[in-house]
Amino acid sequence: MFDHYEVNGLFDEVFESSGRPRSHYSSLVSRLKALGHPAFERRRRMTDVLFRNQGITFTVYSDARGVEKIFPFDLVPRIVPANEWDLIERGLVQRITALNLFCHDIYHGQRILKERVIPPDLIYGAKMFRREMFGVKVPRDIYIHICGTDLIRDNQGTYYVLEDNGRTPSGVSYVLENRAVMKRVFSNLFGAYRVRAVEDYPYNLLQCLKFIAPNHVDNPSIAILTPGIYNSAYFEHSFLARQMGVELVEGRDLLVDKGFLYMRTIAGLQRVDVLYRRVDDDFLDPLCFRPESALGVAGLMNAYRVGNLALANAVGTGVADDKAIYPFVPAMIKFYLGQDAILPNVRTLICADEADRKYVLEHLHELVVKSTNESGGYGMLMGHQASKEEREKFAQMIQADPRNFIAQPVIQLSQHPSLIDDHFEGRRVDLRPYILYGEKVIVMPGGLTRVALRHGSLVVNSSQGGGSKDTWVLEEESAKST
Amino acid sequence: MTTAADPTSSRAFATIGIAPTASKPERPMLARDADSMYWMARYVERAEHVARLLLVNSNVLIDVGDVAPALQTQHWQGLLHILRVPALPEPKSEDQRDIAARVAQHLTLDAENPNSIVSCLTRARENARGIRENISTEMWENLNTLYWHLRGDDAHSRFEESPDDLYRSVMTGSMLFQGLTDQTLAHDQRWLFAQLAKYLERIDVTCRVIETKFNILQVNQQTLESPIRNIHWMAVLRSCCSIEAYRRNYVGEMDPMHVVGFLILEKNFPRSIRFSLSGALAAISVIRAGTQVGAIDPAERILGRLEAQLEYAEVAEILSIGVPNYLQRIQAGINDAALAVQKSYFLH
Repeated sequence: MFDHYEVNGLFDEVFESSGRPRSHYSSLVSRLKALGHPAFERRRRMTDVLFRNQGITFTVYSDARGVEKIFPFDLVPRIVPANEWDLIERGLVQRITALNLFCHDIYHGQRILKERVIPPDLIYGAKMFRREMFGVKVPRDIYIHICGTDLIRDNQGTYYVLEDNGRTPSGVSYVLENRAVMKRVFSNLFGAYRVRAVEDYPYNLLQCLKFIAPNHVDNPSIAILTPGIYNSAYFEHSFLARQMGVELVEGRDLLVDKGFLYMRTIAGLQRVDVLYRRVDDDFLDPLCFRPESALGVAGLMNAYRVGNLALANAVGTGVADDKAIYPFVPAMIKFYLGQDAILPNVRTLICADEADRKYVLEHLHELVVKSTNESGGYGMLMGHQASKEEREKFAQMIQADPRNFIAQPVIQLSQHPSLIDDHFEGRRVDLRPYILYGEKVIVMPGGLTRVALRHGSLVVNSSQGGGSKDTWVLEEESAKST
Repeated sequence: MTTAADPTSSRAFATIGIAPTASKPERPMLARDADSMYWMARYVERAEHVARLLLVNSNVLIDVGDVAPALQTQHWQGLLHILRVPALPEPKSEDQRDIAARVAQHLTLDAENPNSIVSCLTRARENARGIRENISTEMWENLNTLYWHLRGDDAHSRFEESPDDLYRSVMTGSMLFQGLTDQTLAHDQRWLFAQLAKYLERIDVTCRVIETKFNILQVNQQTLESPIRNIHWMAVLRSCCSIEAYRRNYVGEMDPMHVVGFLILEKNFPRSIRFSLSGALAAISVIRAGTQVGAIDPAERILGRLEAQLEYAEVAEILSIGVPNYLQRIQAGINDAALAVQKSYFLH
């Protein structure tokens, strides 16, 4: 199955060069070869049925038929050796610490603006900057409790941070379900490795939510707020509620009375102290943000501001994962922590800056242009693949609203073998680890490896035809000898 | 006193970190979740009844079909009446003239028909999907698998090949679901709402089955020979999943009065109306006790009265009132109780 496998001049996660697996993959590769295609194919079909029957699905917008889809699962696991993980972990802890200090600063003293580290225009021009949060004391001064940071590797194998998702990152349920399915269909593959467990994530999340409960509460009542069963990440909301044993609520289950949040139960109203909300800021409270929103609760922001309710993540964290502010994260790390960034950023041009904008417009054919507030692979231009018309359209959009765009060079993402028909081919991957910030910072040892299953594609988002892999972080450098 | 050696003493518990009174006060469930729990259970139970009625009806008409074609049509119409289907859609082509095939098609895989098996299971699953954190993984996977069994690409061809197999898988799927509900869920509010819904649905369908069949058989009493009549009464028992229990009780004797008495008044059989009423009443009483201490719930009052009536009723009395009349009163009570539940618990 690996007979005609090609490294394609990219960084391949598995093979140093064609036919020569890296040491931490050699045991896996020989087991896969011994298994052969028919046995592999049988297991692949088994996983499809497992996912379908367990209802592990996501919803694709603007798909007329069947709103539920299975997130394509790629059975070949991605392996991260301990030394690489050590670097990632330290880098992520450093980053979430700095981002939280940044959020606090932006909504209080604004030292970083006064000292001209970040241009104030960029902050005040950010769509997700929330004036309503200015001067608000949030529990334990934590803003980003849950972060999903996207990492990529270039053709040298260097890890970069591509973006920080500090609002309502999703995907962690797939990490846990992928692992569960792998254990069911490929239990023998685990034999050669000591793979670190990811299963304590829900427990850690719950501890984190308890940690931020309002001071007056001994035994906090915790709930997850979901937009409802038609939301693309509904499976995950329900999954986490089940794993933590907390209520899953919708806006219509809630009301605010005299500054406290309540849910409607069969025994009347019951107070809610901590809300893990999976609804964007814009839709949280129609009295404060979008008035037409039916997903939130009128008066919720009042309960939050007076300290009767804790929210995870805090309102206003979008200012930290705005793509035009992302280029300043290394500077933030330096400013708040006095350290150099452990994980580098991807070089980024800010269209709001005149010189950068000029360069971007002249080099559209070799850049990736992204809208600063979109996610999920929407609002993006892959310059080298786009048609002339598409490039011209983006040029006009950039000139009309430069603050809304950034551009980055095309990174040749690392590739990893995926089964395509009856053999393995390289497909581009990224990695999204999840970080929890509560009493301490916990980086889940693992993460969601997303795969661009379309040949040659560099876009890994599930809404754009991506799949996912189980991600094995090893206890030690390489495989056990077998 | 040998406290130290007694494993149930509070000290023994304290050493392993468990308080002797282990039960934690229950967290009241969300009104919307209770609503979904209730409808999930009702639709699963309903799907099972539709499947069983179709299975039994097509089998009995294989036995007696040639003898009385007019009666056959009456039976299929009766089935539509039981399941509250107003009218069959017009046949799409010549070869769809056969009423049996049309009814079966309409009630099984026709997603346009809100009372078809596939529609019931779709709604059961939609409700379950909205409350996955309230039900067990076993329950969800069972229901979801059953759903895909009827929604999958090959459902139509499997139905063509053997309708019976499909009906049986729905019936078994429903019973498995109810068994899992009993054995994987704490018997708390969640379970109680599922019990309440299951029994209310069962009473409703059972009333309509007996009432409809009783009318048909009474109208045709003169023309039916007794072996054929027996087959029909056996079909009534089968439709209510009661034939074996009845036979053991009455040693095979097929007396319509015994059948009616058994299905309505039998105390210990889970398919009888009286048993189901007791189950529904017990469920609502515990729910009420946990949420509005001291008060009497309107649904509890209605069900309590009905149960008292059935407890002291005699078959002769039911006959003097008229079986259809008697059953319609029960049904009216059940409907009122269902509305009262909705008002007290789901519309907070």
